[in-house]
Amino acid sequence: MILDLHSHSIASDDGRAKVENYCKWIRKKEVPIDGFVLTEHRQFDFAGDYAALARDFDLTILKASEVETEYGHVLVFGVTPALTERFDFGAIGLPLVRVIEESQHHGAIAVPCHPGRTKVGMCAHIETLGVPDGVTIVETLNGGSRGSEDESAQAMAAQLGYQGVGGSDAHIVSHIGRCATRFPAPVRSETELVEALQAGEFEALSWK
Amino acid sequence: MEVEDLKEKFLKLNFDEAEFHVDGDDMVGFALACGETAARYTDPADPDFHATPTFPARFHGRRMLPRDIPLGGKIPLDAGKAVMPQKKIRPGTKLVGRSHLHDIYEKTGRSGRMIFLVSRMELFDEAEDLACIVDSRMVVRERPGE
Repeated sequence: MILDLHSHSIASDDGRAKVENYCKWIRKKEVPIDGFVLTEHRQFDFAGDYAALARDFDLTILKASEVETEYGHVLVFGVTPALTERFDFGAIGLPLVRVIEESQHHGAIAVPCHPGRTKVGMCAHIETLGVPDGVTIVETLNGGSRGSEDESAQAMAAQLGYQGVGGSDAHIVSHIGRCATRFPAPVRSETELVEALQAGEFEALSWK
Repeated sequence: MEVEDLKEKFLKLNFDEAEFHVDGDDMVGFALACGETAARYTDPADPDFHATPTFPARFHGRRMLPRDIPLGGKIPLDAGKAVMPQKKIRPGTKLVGRSHLHDIYEKTGRSGRMIFLVSRMELFDEAEDLACIVDSRMVVRERPGE
């Protein structure tokens, strides 16, 4: 089971892709993924219901969030209504440790994304803020990374013993599936995704 | 610039009002420039002739932002438009556009912190029916060290 764990639709302020068009693109271009996770910026898209699209295109479409912390951007998988009450998803500069702890408490999991990116990635902030507690997984392959940003992420992950996932960070249709994550068993819900990540059996993939 | 302060002081307050007269030739020119070929957009003789959905994006008030909004001397950059048509706009219509700041939010990116200002113009026709909503998004980038 291969899922792109990082994508944005028009529900994000800078997203230019409709979810249906991601589905069409994946099938028309035979993108080798079985589904994708919508990680909208600074919000959780409670309103979006993509069950019909998932059924029609035989794809897994899950929802998550990308929030902003003092260590950069962080994907939160397994978001629940209760979790969205615990901190302001729309804020920038959220304390990463709090995001991690609250996520764990509510059955979710927080994954710093594009850590090699300047200003919004964890690598640069570790130099000034130190190594944060509680991180177990980071995004080591990001479809929007430039230059050596992914190499920096992978080096940090290796040094600190983090596992790595992959996601395209797609904002436009043609970028979906550039990077993804392979799981050994089917993942059909947000709960199963969290369980799969907690189980630790996954592999980051790139087709960039 | 604290976003919460800006929101408290400036959100939802009308800061501009302007009148616009919808001209059929302008409608055709705009439609053709967009690549439209449908007669309802390009032929004034068509019984359903009306403006393309994005036509109202060409209307601008006297101001894009409230006069006294404190942006530290920075000039906002265009960060995109969204047009939400509410009814068909016919030639000869007189529209009144009223503008307010609809949203202010911040985000971080490779270049650092950015503040986004969403200026919303609501266009009303002679019957005071809402004909269209046009959001103009502008961004102010924080310089390093600010």
